[in-house]
Amino acid sequence: MALLFRTHYELAKSSLKRNRTRSFLTCLGISIGVASIVLILSLMGSISSLVSSQVSKIGSNLIVVRPSSTLSTVDSIVSELTTSTQYLKSNLTLKDVTTIKKIDNVAAVSPLAVSVNSLKGETDTTVPSATVVGTNPDFIKIQNLSLKNGTFLREDAETPTAVIGSKLAGTLFGTAEPIGKAITLLGQRFIIIGVLAEVDDPINFNNIDLDNAFFVCASALNKIDNSLQIQQINIRVENTGSIDDTASTIHESLTAAKSGDTNFTVLKGDEITHPAGSLLSIVSGILSLVAGISLIVGGIGIMNIMLVSVTERTHEIGIRKAIGATSGNIRFQFLIEALILSVIGGLMGLLLGYLLSFLLCLITPFNPFISWQILAITFGVSVLVGLIFGLYPAMKAAHKNPIYSLKFWA
Amino acid sequence: MNEEQGKSNINETIIKLEGLSKRFGYGDAASFALKNFDLEVKRGEFIMIMGPSGCGKTTLLNIIGLLDTATSGSYFLNDEPVNRISPRRQARLRAKKIGFIFQNFNLIPNLPIIENVALPLVYSGYHKTRRLIKASESLDRFNMKDKEYYLPFQLSGGQQQRAAIARAIVSHPEIILADEPTGNLDSKSSITVMDELKRIHSEGNTIIMVTHNPALTSYATRVINMLDGAIDTDIKTVKDSDLPVPIERKTPKKIFKSRKKTAKKSKKKGKK
Repeated sequence: MALLFRTHYELAKSSLKRNRTRSFLTCLGISIGVASIVLILSLMGSISSLVSSQVSKIGSNLIVVRPSSTLSTVDSIVSELTTSTQYLKSNLTLKDVTTIKKIDNVAAVSPLAVSVNSLKGETDTTVPSATVVGTNPDFIKIQNLSLKNGTFLREDAETPTAVIGSKLAGTLFGTAEPIGKAITLLGQRFIIIGVLAEVDDPINFNNIDLDNAFFVCASALNKIDNSLQIQQINIRVENTGSIDDTASTIHESLTAAKSGDTNFTVLKGDEITHPAGSLLSIVSGILSLVAGISLIVGGIGIMNIMLVSVTERTHEIGIRKAIGATSGNIRFQFLIEALILSVIGGLMGLLLGYLLSFLLCLITPFNPFISWQILAITFGVSVLVGLIFGLYPAMKAAHKNPIYSLKFWA
Repeated sequence: MNEEQGKSNINETIIKLEGLSKRFGYGDAASFALKNFDLEVKRGEFIMIMGPSGCGKTTLLNIIGLLDTATSGSYFLNDEPVNRISPRRQARLRAKKIGFIFQNFNLIPNLPIIENVALPLVYSGYHKTRRLIKASESLDRFNMKDKEYYLPFQLSGGQQQRAAIARAIVSHPEIILADEPTGNLDSKSSITVMDELKRIHSEGNTIIMVTHNPALTSYATRVINMLDGAIDTDIKTVKDSDLPVPIERKTPKKIFKSRKKTAKKSKKKGKK
């Protein structure tokens, strides 16, 4: 079998070499399809590695509590992103934050009540839909953020105070030094006491663009907005080793405090980025399917060329059969030829895809992402295309009658 | 004892056709290329089949060569019934037992001569090096060794046909079937090709050849005239007992074995 394979491989190689241009163009069809799949997978891979690097940057001592049950099914992930139900459903309260604070091994707890509201600066500049984050002084500790100027929020402040993201400061005041200025939110004036240093990572586990957010104390926000909803509670633990125990203790005490209501999830480590990660894999899957269409076109190209080749070589098939080739031998020979075309096309596509993703990464913040999965998928897909589209021409060649084939001159 | 074995080899029947018929078309359109055809071929015969166009010569050759199957009747190759075997088995037997020589040479145009000659060995499971060595030996027998890496179109018709004969005998088949091997050649090349066929016949090969040229019958040991799918006349010019004895091909393995045997015998004698 191995011997026959080698013999057929040699035969196929020489016959493909004879028609270099034709073989190259056929490979090109496959390689464009493969390149687009590689490009999509590599970009998606780099985005999701960017998200998970967020968590590792913050540290492995982070626990996040989110409302609603585990976001593992496609439906829940999609509905979370496409509707505002998460803002309405949340059953987390400021009371829960105090409950968690009392648990051992918890170093810092901060709620995250995100809403979109219009902000008004001192002069009549307004931002109609700014991200308003209701949180507490612990937020900056948990996130490892630094301030460009001023101080972060204080719970015991006498007047309502606020901290502002650097980009939003620019938009509202035209300056990066707005400390002491006032902003009006829902009729309440907030004095700005600090500006966050620029972070420049729009994709993070909080789903907040920190540079464009407006931070106030959740308690202060609660006074002016009765419908305040907490979407997330971030917790930093002291001892990373017992993070699992702490997570389950948090779950237990929250369940007890809410008298049995378990409509929330406690997430730690990789689980925190899970929703974003699975959404990305859904999107990349769908995009790859679309790219797969071009692979089908490439496959049809292979089939077309192989059919031409079979017709051209009818006489040769007749000779081979007359001197002892079985139909299986002939089928194998042509199938291997198609496979070589598709695998070479696949390799070309892999190179082309990575070249394109490197070029794309020059103008985007992503890094090209290479993994053995992408290589395996590419190789598998190109072999599959070669098999599927090479089979019909190979069968056609194998079924040729030797007597008629010997009389056939192309 | 060896002589006796050799003699039994001569009289061995390698092909036996009984009541063979081949029909083309059905019902009113049916026509018979072969009708109740009987034939027995002994090892070492050189049979020339003659007859007008459309008398069924080529059909007979295709059936004997296992490229076609008869509609009815039976065909025994080496006492094995082969008329109703699978196409796969047919192909295997073609690779092992049958060598074809065609009127239009049928060499694959884009393969060098040596690879064309080695082609039958591809399907009987030889490694590339072994294939090329055997092909080279075969070409050497026809004084074509210097043309090994020529492409077919670079050779004359006679040379191409000699390469085709080299291909036909490369796997040492039981029968060589030739369909008008001189039909596309000038008279000088025809003589060379016929001389080569005569030579391989004298080495004990069985040849069945179809021809239109009555002048070539002098090479044959048996001349069959066909008419309308049946034998018209069948003349043997050489007695069965005078047919050439196949030269036993000793492979290195066999030689080694026989040497071992004689060595053992002499040892036993020494002990006694």
